[in-house]
Amino acid sequence: MGIYVQLLVRRYLTTRIIPLIAVAAVALCVALVVIVVSVMSGFLDNLRNSGRTLMGDVVVSYPVQGIPHYGTLIRDIERLPGAAAASPLVDTYGLIRMPYPEGSNKDVVTAQVWAIEPESFARVTEFDRTIWWKPGTAAEALAMREDDPRRSIDDTLHQDALAMKDRATGRPGAVLGMHVSVVNQRQRDGTYRPRVDYWWMPRHEITVTLVPISEKGTISQSNSRAFKVVNEVMSGVFQVDKNRVFIPLKDGQELLRLDEAPIVDTTAEPGPDGKYPVVGMSPARATQVLVRAKPGVAPQELKQQVTDAYEQFYLRTAADPDARVKAPSPAYVSILTWEERLRDLIGPVERERQMMRILFSITYLVCAGLILAIFWSIVSEKTRDIGILRATGASRSGVLAIFLHYGLVIGVVGSGIGTGLAWLVIRNINAIHEAMGNEVPAFVWVGSYLLAAGALVMTVRAGRHSRALGFLLWTVLTLVTAGAATGLMLHKGFLIWDPSVYYFATIPSAMDWTNAGITCIGAIVFSVLGAAVPAARAADIDPVRALRYE
Amino acid sequence: MNDAAPSHLHATSGHHAPATPASPVLLARDVQRTYRMGRVTVPVLKGAGIEVRHGEWVAILGSSGSGKSTLLHLLGGLDRPDAGTVEFRGEDISRFAPRRLDRYRNAHVGFVFQFYHLLPELNVLENTMLPATIGVGRWEWLRRREEIRERARGLLERFGLAHRFRHRPAELSGGERQRVAIARALMRNPEVLLADEPTGNLDAKTGESILDMIAEQHRAGLTIVMVTHDQWIASRADRVVHLVDGRVA
Repeated sequence: MGIYVQLLVRRYLTTRIIPLIAVAAVALCVALVVIVVSVMSGFLDNLRNSGRTLMGDVVVSYPVQGIPHYGTLIRDIERLPGAAAASPLVDTYGLIRMPYPEGSNKDVVTAQVWAIEPESFARVTEFDRTIWWKPGTAAEALAMREDDPRRSIDDTLHQDALAMKDRATGRPGAVLGMHVSVVNQRQRDGTYRPRVDYWWMPRHEITVTLVPISEKGTISQSNSRAFKVVNEVMSGVFQVDKNRVFIPLKDGQELLRLDEAPIVDTTAEPGPDGKYPVVGMSPARATQVLVRAKPGVAPQELKQQVTDAYEQFYLRTAADPDARVKAPSPAYVSILTWEERLRDLIGPVERERQMMRILFSITYLVCAGLILAIFWSIVSEKTRDIGILRATGASRSGVLAIFLHYGLVIGVVGSGIGTGLAWLVIRNINAIHEAMGNEVPAFVWVGSYLLAAGALVMTVRAGRHSRALGFLLWTVLTLVTAGAATGLMLHKGFLIWDPSVYYFATIPSAMDWTNAGITCIGAIVFSVLGAAVPAARAADIDPVRALRYE
Repeated sequence: MNDAAPSHLHATSGHHAPATPASPVLLARDVQRTYRMGRVTVPVLKGAGIEVRHGEWVAILGSSGSGKSTLLHLLGGLDRPDAGTVEFRGEDISRFAPRRLDRYRNAHVGFVFQFYHLLPELNVLENTMLPATIGVGRWEWLRRREEIRERARGLLERFGLAHRFRHRPAELSGGERQRVAIARALMRNPEVLLADEPTGNLDAKTGESILDMIAEQHRAGLTIVMVTHDQWIASRADRVVHLVDGRVA
C-alpha cells in the first residue's frame, strides 16, 4: 500500500464528518448485535449452570412409583470412578397452606415439593449456596445494606436449613423458594425484605398436602403435615424460586406412602388382633437419584457409568420379585444428564439465538448499504482529486486501494468502538435496567427544559437573521430537547426484564467474546464490500474527464 | 534546477534514449482523438503533430475547442490517441502498459493546470510531495523521507512559500496555489513540464510572475510545453505551434 494511500485515508477520515457518520453506524450495528447475542448467550449459560446447580450432573428418575432400594443404588453409584456424590429425592407436586393472612382462611398455593436428604443433597447440588437467610462472611455482611434483615440474624437458620429441622422444637423443617410466599419483596439491589416484618417466613408454620398415587395409578387419600419454615432459597432461577418447596425425605416418603411398609394379604383371614397377616415388606422409594460428577468428568461419561451401575443393580435384584426394581428402560427408569433433562428449554433458546444471529446479520447489509451510499457520494465529490492523483502517477489499483482501505478503517474503527460500547452496556446492563426503573431526578428534566429554552432562543435568532438551515436545525433541536424533557418528567420508571417471564432474576451480563469477534469480522468484511463498488467506480474514472469535472 | 534534485527523484531514464539538444523529447505524429458525448461523437484532434526538442519551450496556441488541452493530455500520457503515435524519446507511450504509463506521468512529466488542482485535504508541503509519495515504495519512503521533505521544502522556499508549509490550499491566494502546483510538478525533477493555461485563472500581474517562474525553469534547462489561447503569453515561448480545429496550422 502506497504512502499516499495511507496519507489520504487518514486525512479523509479526520477532516470530514461523513466518515464519522459511517463509523457511528458501524459501531451501533456491532454494539446492537453483540449486546443482543451476548445477553442470549448469557441466558443459555445461566440455564446450563442452573441445571447443574440445582440437580447435579446425572439424574436417575422413575417418577411416581419411585426407585426401591435406592440406598443400595446410591452406594453402588458412589463407588463409580466418575461419581463424587449421589442423593435420593422425592419429586412431586402438592398444596402448601401458608400462614397468612390473619384468621382461619389461609392462602393455599401449589408447589413442586422436593423431599430431600439435606446432607447428601448439599453435596450433589449447591443447595447450601442458595440458602438465603444466613449472616454471610464478614465481608458480605459489611456489604449488606443497613435495612437488610440478614444483618441481624445468626447462623441458626442456616444450620436449621442444612438439617431440614427446627432444632429448637425438633419439628420437621421446610425450606421455601424465595418467591413461593408473597412476603419477600425484591429490592432493586437484588436483596430481599419482607413486605410486612411480621410475616417474615422463617419460624412460621406451613402445611404441606401431598396426594399418594398407587402403583396401579390410582389416587389415594391425601396426607397433610405441618412444617416449620426454617429458611428460604434463592437460586436465581425464577421458576424454581417461585415454585419449589423442600421438605425432609422421610416426611415426603411418608406423605406419599413411598416409605418402607409391611405388605399384608387382605384375602386371608385377619388374625386375632383383627389385622391381616404380613406377607412381605415394601421397600422405601425415591423418585430420583441425583449424581454429581467428580471434577473433570463429563456428564455423558458419568451417565454411561451410572447406566452400567443401574443395570448391575437391576440384574442383582431381578431374581427377587419382592425387590420390585424396574428394568433400565425409558418406560420406567430414565438416566439423563442435566443438559438432556433441560433439552426442551435449552434447545429452543439455542435455536432462537441462532435465528437472532441470522436476523441481526441484516444489520451488516445496512452497514454495507450505508457505506456504499456514503462512499458513492464521496467518490462523486472527489472525482477531480482522483484525476489529480492519476495525473501525478497514481495507478488505478492505487485509487482502488484508497477507498477499500478507507472502508476497512471505517469497519475496524466502527467495530472497535461498537465492541467497547457493547462491553460497557453489558457490564452495566442490570444497573442501566435498574436506573430505567427509577424516576428521573428533577434536575435532569429541568436541565433538559433549560437546554430546550436555549435552543428556542437560537431558533428565534436564526429566524431574525433569515438563516434557513440554522432555523431548521435549531427548531429540530428545540423540539427534540423539549420532547425529551417532557418524557423524562413523565417517566415514572418501568422494568423490561420481568423475572417471571425471563426465568432469571437478573439480566445476564457476560460478554460473549467469540460472538463479538465474529460480529466484528462480519462488520469489517461488509464495510469493505460496501466500499468496493464505489472504489471500483473511482478506479475506472477517466483522468481527463475527472480533471474537467465540475 | 535539475542539478539540485536528489538522484532518486530524477526521472529514471533507463528505458529511453539519452536526450541531446537536437533530438526530440516528445514527438506526436498524426494523432487523432474523438470523444463520445452520449450519442454524439466529437472529433477533437484530426491528425495533429508536434515535435518538442530537449530544453525547448513550446507554446501550443489555439482557441477554445481547438484541441490544445487534448494534445497536452496525450503528450502527458493522461489519455491515449485513437490513431497516430506519441513518442517520448523515441518510444511510443500510447503502447505503454498501464503501469508504465503511470510511472511515465509520475517521473518523466509534470503537469500544471489552469485551476491548480491541489488536493484540499493535504497541506502545501504534502501536496508538493505527492508525486514522490506516489512514486516511491514504502521502504524507500522510510529510508529517504527526510531527503524528500527537504526537496519539497527547498522548492517551496525558492517559490516564496516558506511560511505556507502547513497551510491548506483553501488558505492560499490563486498565485500561491499555482506556485505550489509548479513545485509539485517539479518535485520528481521531470524532463518535461506540461502547463495547461497556467495563468488562465490569475490576474495579469500574478500571471506574469508565474510566467517568470516558468521562464526561470526553462533557463535552467527544463523542456516546457505550454497550452494557451493568449497570443501575448505564447510569445514568451521559444516556439509557437498554432492549433486550429484539431490540426496544426
